[in-house]
Amino acid sequence: MEQSIPPQNTGIPPVRPKNWLVESILVTIFCCLPFGIAGIVFASQVNSKYDAGDYASAEKASRQAKTWTLVAFIIGIASALIWIIIAMTTTFFSAMFNHHFYP
Amino acid sequence: MSIARIKILLISIAVLALGLLYYLYNPVGHSFFPECPFYALTGLDCPGCGSQRALYALLHGHLLQAAAYNLLFVLALPFIIYSAVIFAGNHLFGKRWNQNIFYKPWFAKVALVFILLFWILRNVPFSCFHWMAA
Repeated sequence: MEQSIPPQNTGIPPVRPKNWLVESILVTIFCCLPFGIAGIVFASQVNSKYDAGDYASAEKASRQAKTWTLVAFIIGIASALIWIIIAMTTTFFSAMFNHHFYP
Repeated sequence: MSIARIKILLISIAVLALGLLYYLYNPVGHSFFPECPFYALTGLDCPGCGSQRALYALLHGHLLQAAAYNLLFVLALPFIIYSAVIFAGNHLFGKRWNQNIFYKPWFAKVALVFILLFWILRNVPFSCFHWMAA
């Protein structure tokens, strides 16, 4: 699905590397962290370098796009979980204290 | 079952569960919805700020309200759905559709410039940019 044949005629080009653009835009919108933007920067490099015939650099940019997207995703999920745990414990304790000490 | 099919199954379950959560509960006034860490640290809006409220508004049919919370979210949604449909078509129904638009160099550059401009402008304290803030 991601493979398409580029216009170059110099031998057989390698498979177009995955550019992680949609994934990095998703983490930018939902994980609320600027790391997703780094993912988009590398995603755009995957496209331009592949089209320029620089397949090794495109492959490298693809790996970096993946790394930044995953970093943003993991930090986003972790911070959301921490937030939910803090919100739940504070609600729990305030309810408990209100009940026992301030009836 | 292939890895792609498991992926589609897990993502569908997550989307349905989160869709239900954001349909039933308004992020405004419920403290268990996580706040953006970037906003919590800096007090500035990031490009994703307002997405949760925008999703709630969108699920209730308020498109303009959703765009007021986060314009980027509303504009990106059709592209994300397009990408998901192609992925599902290729892996569930044996199609060979191409995600061409995401592999055009200009598309990634336009997306990058748009997101960076949106991030900057929604934090500019002039009244003409207030509609972009979360």
